[in-house]
Amino acid sequence: MWEGIITGLATALDPGNLAWVAFGCLAGTFIGMMPGLGPITAIALMIPVSYSMEPAAGLIMMAGVYYGAVFGGSTSSILINAPGVASTVATSFDGYPMARRGQAGRALALAAFASFGGGTFGALALMLFATSLASLAMQFQSPEYTLVLVFALSSIAAFAERGKVLASLISALAGLMLGTVGTDPSAGIQRFTFGRADLADGIGFVLLAMATFALAEAFHMLVRGDSEPVPDRVGKRVRLHAGDARAIAPTVGRSSVLGFLVGVLPGAGATLASFFAYDLQKRFRRGDEADAARGVAAPESANNAACTGSFVPLLTLGIPGSGTTAVLLGVMLSYGIQPGPRLLETEPAVFWGVIVSMYLGNLVLLALNLPLIPWLSRIIHLKRRVLIPFVVAFSLLGVYLTSLNPFDVFLMLGFAIAACALRLNGFPMAPLLLGFILSPMLEENLRRTLLLSDGTLGVFVGAPLTIALLAACFLVWAVPATRLLGALRSRNASRRRT
Amino acid sequence: MEGTASALKRSLRRVQGFLAGLTLAGALSVGAEAIHVVIPAGPGGGLDGTARESGRVLRDLGLVESVSFENLSGGGGGRAMGWFMENAGRHDFPLLVNSSPLIVRSLHGLFPYSFRDLTPVAALIADYGVFVVAADAPKTGWEATLARLREDPRAIVVGGGSVRGSLDHIVLALALEAGGIDPRQVRYLPYDGGGKAMLALLGGEVAMLSTGLGETMPFIEAGEVWPLAVTSPERIPGLDTPTLTELGYPVAFANWRGMFGAREMPAEDRSRAIDWFRSLRASREWQEVLARRGWATLDHDGEDYTRFLEQQEEQLRTTMQALGFVR
Repeated sequence: MWEGIITGLATALDPGNLAWVAFGCLAGTFIGMMPGLGPITAIALMIPVSYSMEPAAGLIMMAGVYYGAVFGGSTSSILINAPGVASTVATSFDGYPMARRGQAGRALALAAFASFGGGTFGALALMLFATSLASLAMQFQSPEYTLVLVFALSSIAAFAERGKVLASLISALAGLMLGTVGTDPSAGIQRFTFGRADLADGIGFVLLAMATFALAEAFHMLVRGDSEPVPDRVGKRVRLHAGDARAIAPTVGRSSVLGFLVGVLPGAGATLASFFAYDLQKRFRRGDEADAARGVAAPESANNAACTGSFVPLLTLGIPGSGTTAVLLGVMLSYGIQPGPRLLETEPAVFWGVIVSMYLGNLVLLALNLPLIPWLSRIIHLKRRVLIPFVVAFSLLGVYLTSLNPFDVFLMLGFAIAACALRLNGFPMAPLLLGFILSPMLEENLRRTLLLSDGTLGVFVGAPLTIALLAACFLVWAVPATRLLGALRSRNASRRRT
Repeated sequence: MEGTASALKRSLRRVQGFLAGLTLAGALSVGAEAIHVVIPAGPGGGLDGTARESGRVLRDLGLVESVSFENLSGGGGGRAMGWFMENAGRHDFPLLVNSSPLIVRSLHGLFPYSFRDLTPVAALIADYGVFVVAADAPKTGWEATLARLREDPRAIVVGGGSVRGSLDHIVLALALEAGGIDPRQVRYLPYDGGGKAMLALLGGEVAMLSTGLGETMPFIEAGEVWPLAVTSPERIPGLDTPTLTELGYPVAFANWRGMFGAREMPAEDRSRAIDWFRSLRASREWQEVLARRGWATLDHDGEDYTRFLEQQEEQLRTTMQALGFVR
């Protein structure tokens, strides 16, 4: 194995390849910052470039593009509350409020360091455990996935503000319903599309994320007349607050392990990982000033570790676990490299080269992006009369450019107005987006489970793994459920008294 | 560094190709063309690979001056079809790459187009269907599988990488019907892509998989799965697996990938494009691509391609009727 790592290191440290990884990181970051363009698009855009490159250089550049795009996505999430990809939605929960409080630079630096931590852990874990973890991916079949997704929905309880459990549930339910629009994942027929071809593929994630987060926030600022954001005290230099590193270290550790393991599971690895990590973080919260810092660090380290984890099924089984790794598989196949159980034997240089270059990608990304942060964080200091039109234009353009369909723009405006109205009435939007992301996967797995079990629910208590997952779901809900019941009872009691 | 070197190599090759093209042009008075290929899928998949690899080889051979690509996914390929029919005229030489699901989806009525709205130019690649079981399953063969299903159609759960009523399911139904089994009685579990279906087979959720040979080949070679039967008309070289035909079930099916022009494509453009793709098939470069990607070649051009499409449409219509997806 060490021989392999050294071979990989030698490949990755070739000056030409180093230049490619740096180029990849920069290109990825800028593409990822664009509204609606995530790692999948970033890699896809670079495919024509990669066709003319040597396999090792091409794959190394792609690793840079991948991590760059993931980080770029976090940037827009933190600065203007516009998560361009699902895996950075959780980053905006604490990251955007931090930016509004005048700590944009700090939030971005936290994100960069936490990503680096997650990526480092991920690359190490991939080197050491890749082959032994491959079987984990196979343990999870439709019933287990169904329960994992139910568990993910339960994390709503964590980011529902106190006393808003019912409103959060309603929001999540609306999200689940919006996720059923489009083509039925099992029978392939169209439903809830009003006969419109524009809705045949469902509502786009970018569309709904921009509408409920970025646009709704901009409208909200207009309606409520928020004060101007506090200028960044850090000024032109990025510095973490004293003690930040120590405060986030345990969080990064926990989230990285969790993220990597979730990332190994084929499906929505990075997204689920970021939500789980945020949820877990909330349960460890201390109530001090550094909680928000940890809230940014948790999803960021988890989604980066998960991105690396998603290479486990790709490299060891030849099965892409995520949309991004599916595109990467296409790149590998175009080089005549077939990832799978025999990759380690037939192409050790490629196997280790990919792993080492992913780590290198993380390192280069950190080095390149820290100097960029002060420039980026200036966006948040724009006056409202500049910032709001900027956010509106950014969102509209992003959605239009992903589909080139004017219908989507009007649909997004409609959703944004509805989202703003819901927010003003105390309905949080995060559970809606979470429900929407999870809905298709949940439906697909649940229906498959029921097809297998002939419609009986017994399968969910049939195996130790499902029982454990089910127990976890109950535990997560025990606290908010009793709180909700208590609230309802006291309300009824007070009503009876009057 | 390597990037520059290969770019240099490429431009040298292009000069070579250009000179070759010039000679050819002198002989046949054919001008170099700028072709534009519309791909009804995202980057990275089989359709995208077919378009980009063949486009690259056409250019390297000097048959065309330049190639541009456009990925237009969405609507099950309907968006690209609609766009191509309306806007093809904007380009000098527009081409569309497509595959068997075009026929399935137009039979389903998912979009109001069919291959008759296009001009078939050349079929390039065949992906045959294969039925595989996990390597640790008893290696009893296709006959034994049919016998078990005849006894109890619910005895074996079959997985596939696409929704009910789409290609993996239909190919399964074709094979089952030929074996005298009502395909509607057999349980088919749809997965989101061949990769996840493969994971379900390896993890034991389904007992058999109906899938494409191309993406399954690495798993067969690695000894992870065991192929029972393939849907190719003749045996696949290097694969010791019977065809359905030699087992006594006259079923052959190829998921084709090929090139189309717009409906109003001039006859001379069509015959020129057919000539390009014939030279492409004969070239060493294309043979290398086929070997590297593990693709099987498919030779149908022009009217022959149209007849092939008509036959496949009839075959698919019959099976989809039997499945109850088309009246």
